Formats: sequence, structure tokens, C-alpha cells
Amino acid sequence: MYDLLIAPFAEFDFMRRALVGVLALGLGAGPVGVLMMLRRMSLAGDAMAHAILPGAAVGFLAAGLNLWAMTAGGLIAGFAVALGAGAVARATQMKEDAALAAFYLVSLALGVLLVSLRGSNVDLLHVLFGTVLALDDATLLLIVAITTITLVVLAALWRPLVLESLDPGFLRSVSRAGAPTHLAFLALVVLNLVGGFHALGTLLAVGMMMLPAAAARFWTRELTALVALAVLIACGSGVLGLLVSYHSGAPSGPAIILVAGGAYALSVLFGSVGGLLPRLVPRRHLEA
Amino acid sequence: MGDVLAFRDLTLGYDRHPAVHHLDGAVPEGALLAVCGPNGAGKSTLLKGIVGILPPLAGRIDSGVPAREIAYLPQAAEIDRSFPIDVFDLVSTGLWRRTRLFGGIGRADRVRIEAAIAAVGLAGFEARPIGTLSGGQMQRMLFARLLLQEARLILLDEPFTALDAGTVADLVALIERWNGEGRTVLAVLHDMELVAQHFPETLLLAREPVGWGATPEVLTPANLAEARRMCEAWDEGAAACAPAQGRAA
Amino acid sequence: MLNRRSWLAALAAVAFAAPALAQDAPPAQKLPVVATFSILGDLVHQVGGDRVRVSTLVGPNGDAHVFQPSPADAKKIAGAKVVFVNGLGFEGWIDRLVKSSGTRAKIFVASKGVEPREMAEEEEDGHDHDNTAEAHGHDHGHDHGGTDPHAWQSVANAKLYVANIRDGLIAADPDGKATYDANAAAYTAKLDALDNEVKAAIVRIPADKRRIITSHDAFGYFGAAYGIEFIAPQGVSTEAEASAKDVAKIIRQIKAEHIPAVFMENISDPRLVKRIANETGAKIGGEVYSDALSDDKGPASTYIDMIENNIREFSSALSS
Repeated sequence: MYDLLIAPFAEFDFMRRALVGVLALGLGAGPVGVLMMLRRMSLAGDAMAHAILPGAAVGFLAAGLNLWAMTAGGLIAGFAVALGAGAVARATQMKEDAALAAFYLVSLALGVLLVSLRGSNVDLLHVLFGTVLALDDATLLLIVAITTITLVVLAALWRPLVLESLDPGFLRSVSRAGAPTHLAFLALVVLNLVGGFHALGTLLAVGMMMLPAAAARFWTRELTALVALAVLIACGSGVLGLLVSYHSGAPSGPAIILVAGGAYALSVLFGSVGGLLPRLVPRRHLEA
Repeated sequence: MGDVLAFRDLTLGYDRHPAVHHLDGAVPEGALLAVCGPNGAGKSTLLKGIVGILPPLAGRIDSGVPAREIAYLPQAAEIDRSFPIDVFDLVSTGLWRRTRLFGGIGRADRVRIEAAIAAVGLAGFEARPIGTLSGGQMQRMLFARLLLQEARLILLDEPFTALDAGTVADLVALIERWNGEGRTVLAVLHDMELVAQHFPETLLLAREPVGWGATPEVLTPANLAEARRMCEAWDEGAAACAPAQGRAA
Repeated sequence: MLNRRSWLAALAAVAFAAPALAQDAPPAQKLPVVATFSILGDLVHQVGGDRVRVSTLVGPNGDAHVFQPSPADAKKIAGAKVVFVNGLGFEGWIDRLVKSSGTRAKIFVASKGVEPREMAEEEEDGHDHDNTAEAHGHDHGHDHGGTDPHAWQSVANAKLYVANIRDGLIAADPDGKATYDANAAAYTAKLDALDNEVKAAIVRIPADKRRIITSHDAFGYFGAAYGIEFIAPQGVSTEAEASAKDVAKIIRQIKAEHIPAVFMENISDPRLVKRIANETGAKIGGEVYSDALSDDKGPASTYIDMIENNIREFSSALSS
């Protein structure tokens, strides 16, 4: 048992760092993912992975293959796309998913154009995305900082965020906090995604946000429990996935996501709230 | 008591077509006013204009009450019923004005929330997820939230659609209680019987005001017939409306 | 009249004329040639000299594994008379590009006759493609199916390349045969000297230190030809994602066998290599070039410079 579970982390520094990385990621991505799911933004993560290209391209044109410059550029582009789409959705009839699609496609095209101007064939997006096995001090610090900022902002804005997702009309009628809250949330999403891409790659960053939230939905109808469960599933998948990658030789990112996917599948089948199998088992109905 | 609302040559509409056309008048504080009229008469539009969702095409609305003292119940709430929240938590958002972003909910507040829930006949439903409520129960819950808002001006857009008689009776009692506390209530209603029984004043609207005053004098067969006669659909070929045509109020 | 003096005079005349005869008439127009990547481009330039105008598709510091051809590249190919490709699965995109350009150029595979290597065994389990970002239109189309395409890393193979290039140019431009022969011979002599230089440098490295970790397994032919063992944390292609098991294996190996050096090369993500170096105390070597030349300002702007740069970096890291 020790060899199976503890030894890999005891023996290798890179495994310990990866552990800290996935735990921090799970802590931050869990709540953000739940809110994204409730606000029907589950596909936004994938869109964002493409939207950041022109920012990374500008960073690349300015400073070469400097990861920090490209990440900073990607962050700016991500903010521009997310906040632009959010603002358009609020100000016009357009729904948020259509606005985001429009913005990210334009952004991606711009990025491809910029990259081709330089003439080099370096696959920017690929270089931009890290791996959980290569977390140096600076990157670890980045993940932990992002998680901390996320938790602080969420704690501060929890009430308007929930109300805005639940009954935006009512919030608009009692407060002017709706629009800034919405934009702050989008900024958090971009921060988590771009930081996640830089440190851990797209698959891990997006997957750890959406899969645990989706799985947790099948076990509870209460919001706080939902968030707690999502964090638990995210962190658990991270640890288990690393161990799977260590013992079986599967690549680390996909291993973690597949474990999370397994948790989702189990939830769909056996979840007490809306799972498939409990419906098939007949139980006596209650008196009232 | 001053006027809570004053309409000055107000025109509200969509895409330049007026839904409320040249409305003048005032609503005194403490009024219990029903807004009636055929479909498409501009009743919901008027409420939206008062709340500020719809800017006027012409004229204006003067409000003697600040925005945060106005409570609005729209015709079809945009509430996401699949959201994982229970009745207690949703009703508690009615305390927003006091708690704002960070204020906690103390013992006294909990008592008030529970009292509000009981006042609308939903005692025992505090922990139920909102997705499990029926239409009538949903509406009661929203009334409980309104209760907690303690607003000076309450706007209700067709609050009793598709509700059973028992629920309606309970909610009407609540409205009368509010009015007894000095609050002004405007309600858009279709049920003329109910209006005649409980609402002392009525504004009969058919885009342009047909009558505004004591209910028995406004809801006459002649007025109702005239209201029905007024055009329901908007006219694609209409010319631009000339200003200041000296209409009688 | 055909006495000895006449014969001598005739011979002298011919002798003087011979160099002139060995020079072909300068071409009316340079032969347009396309090479798929910078290393190949340099070799073609060395053999072709002034008779050819070489353009390359994947330029300096470029990554042919993930290259996406543009319409400008199709135009280059369409206007060429000769196209040189590496082969061995290096350019997965070349067949489609050639077809879509509609070119009538002759295509030559530079690596013809090379004895291909298979990928090293330890790469198989860690080998995977992270397709998330790539799925949307970044279609590489590359397929190495286990064959290592980096044959040029062995100088002996480079000589084969030169021979194939020479033959290809002669087939397309028979008038230039003499020039091409002469250029190829001269360059091959330089390559021989280079080969000896590398071998001598290796000899100076203690035998038990001839092992290197690098992040891109492109030095298989170099290692096989000169006796250095290259170990990589990822597979051949630059997009393969590492597994914890592979990384752990390499760290254990470096620690157990005291492998002295870890190298990064000019294409892939250096963070993983740095992590391994940090954890094992191995030295991070300088920059080495495997799939592309550097630009003109860099230390590896020609093939010979590239090999010399690489062996210099390897030696200094391993000998210290």
C-alpha cells in the first residue's frame, strides 16, 4: 500500500510539486467550474483556449519564445474576449454563448494572422501549454496565487454571483452590482484558464473545472455541498491520476482527466440525484 | 402626501411603435391602483417604464420614490428553476437592501424570513429546492420575497395568472395589508371582478388612457367597449406622430 | 608532320583547354529548387552552388513536425523544377502539398539508401499526442510510425544525402553535371573531415560519461554512429506528452548511473528538461540543434556549423 500510494511522492520531487499543483488547481477550479456550469458556460473553456492566441502571438513577436511574455499576452487577449463578449451580451439582445463564439473566432483568426506574419512555424499554442510534471517554483507560485485570488474574490462576491445566476432581473432591480459582478466572474474564469494553460496544459485546466462540477451535480441539490463535492472530486482525481500516470505510464494530463471522467460516469450511473440506476430500482413512495 | 409617480405626456413603446401613447397623470402615495385593459394595451410596458427597464419614446416619468424603494414582480420571472437553491435562501434575497454584498443574516432576520414564508402559506417549505415547487407555490414564494423588501412602491404585473382561488385570496389579503401599511400598490390585472371588489382605483388603458379614477366610474360597459375597439396590433403603415396635439387628459 | 613536338603542343593546348572544358557554360537562368527544411536546404546549396536558387519551406528554428503549409509554399513548389524531401516520414504534409500545388517538378528523396533506425524501445509507452489544442485545424498529418527520420545527424548519412542531391540535380539539369560533381566532391571531402573531427572529440570524452538526456529524441543516428547514448523523456515528435512513469524512470536512471548532462534543443518546451535537471543535479548543457538550422546570427547556420556546435556542446558538458 505504501509503495502504491505514498512512495512515488516520497521519492520524487517532481511528483510532490505535481501534487501541490493539482491540489491548488482543484481548490480554485472547483468553485469556478460549478458556477460556470450553473451559468451554462461549460464550453467557454475550450473557446478561451483559442481566444488567447493573438495575445500570445504579440508576446512572441515582442519577446520571442519567452513564456511569461506570451502568457501575459494571452491573459490580456483572454480578458478582452471574455469581457467584450460579456459586455455585448448585457447591452444587447445577444445571448452570451453567441457573443463569446463571435469574439473568440475573431480573436483566433487574428492570432493565426499575426503568427503567419512572422513567418516562423513554431506552434505557439503548443509551446504555451505546460505539463503538470514540469512545475518549477515560479509556476507553482502562479497556480497558488491564482487559487488564492479566486477564493478571495468568490468569497467576497458570492451573494451577487449566485443571485445573478439565479434571477438576474431581480438583482438588476435591487442593485447595480450585477454588471461588475458578472465581469469580475469572467475575469476570474480567464485568470484560472490562462494560468492553468501556462502551468498545466489546456486539457487539465478546463477538465478540472468542468468534470468535477458535472459529477457533483448528481449527488446533491444544495449549492454549498455542490461546491465542496466538486473540490473533493477535483483534488481526488488529481492525486489518483498522478498515481495512475506513475504506475501505468499513461501521460499525466489525460490520466488525471480520465480519472475525473470515471468519477463522472459513476455519478451518472449511481448518483442519488438524477442518476440512472437509482431510477430503475423501485422504492416505496413516501406518505407525504 | 405627495405623488409617488407622475406621468407627463408619456409615450412608451418598441421600435418606435407606441404601446403607451400620450399618458398624463399622477399616482398619489398610498394608492391601490389596478391597471386594466385588453391585450396589447401597454399595461406591462407601463410597469417596465416605471421600473426603468424601458426608456420613454417621448415625455417622461417623474418618480417621488428612489429606485431602491420600488419592488417589481414581472409577468414571467427569469428565475432559473433548476438552480440548486431552496425556498429559504431565495426568499432571503429580499433582504438585499439591508444586507448588501456582505451583511450577514442574524437571528432576527431569520425570524423575519420565516414569518414572511408563513405569511404566504408556505410554512414548512423552507428547505425545499425551488425546482420542486408548483406554479402557485412559486408565486407565493416571490410574494414572500416582496414582503421582505419593504418597498414604498410595489408593482405587480399579472400576479395571479394561473393561480387557484385559494392562493389568489391569500395574496390579495397580503396586498391589502401592504396598502394598509401605507405602501402604494400598482397591479396589472385581468379579472374585473377582483378589481371591482378590492381595488378602489383603476386606470383603464388601451394604449391611450380610456379612464382613470374610482373603479366603479371607470369600469363601465361603455368604457370597456371603447377600450376593446382600440386597435390591438400595431400599424406598419402608421405615420410619425405630430407632437402636442392638445389631447384631453 | 605528327612528330613529337606537335603531339606535345597539341597536348598542351588540350591541357590548357581542359579547365575551360570542365567549366560548363554558365546557365542562362538559375535552376529553381525547393528543399523542405533548412538543413536540407543548406546541403542542396552546397552541391548546387550558383547554378541553383534554393528556397526552403520550414525555415531556421522551424519545426517540421508541426509545420502547416501556406499558399505561398504551394506557389514555391509549383514554380520549382526540383524538390528535395527528407523522407522517412519526416514531412507528413508534403504529399498533399505537392498534389495541391500541381507542380511538375521532379521529387527526390534525399535519404534514399540510408539504413533507417527504429525508435528506441523506452519511447513507446510514453508516446501520446495531446490533441486538445491541435484538434481544431492544426492538423500535422505527420506519421513516423516508429521510424526515426533524423538521418542527417550522422555525417556518413549526410554524405549519402549529398550524393542523392547531386544525382537529382544532374537528372534535372544535365548541363551542370560537371559543376555538381565538383561541388559534391569538394563538400564530401569537408564532410569527411567533419566526421573525423567528431570522432576525435568523442574519444576525448571518458567512456563511462558518454550518455546524454535530451528533450527531443532526434539524435538516434548521431548516437549510433559515434557511440553516445541518448535518452529522452518524450518520444520523437515534439507534441508527445510525458507520463510520470517515464519521468521517474529517467530521474532514477540519471541518479543511479550519474549521467552528467541534460540538453535542450531549439524546438520543444524546456521546462520539463529543467525540472529533470534540477531534481537530479545533472548539468544543463547549451543549446543543440537537431531538426533545423539556426538563423544567420546563430551558431548553427549551416549543416557543418550545426554538427560542430552540437559536438562542442556535448563535449563540454560531458567532460567537465
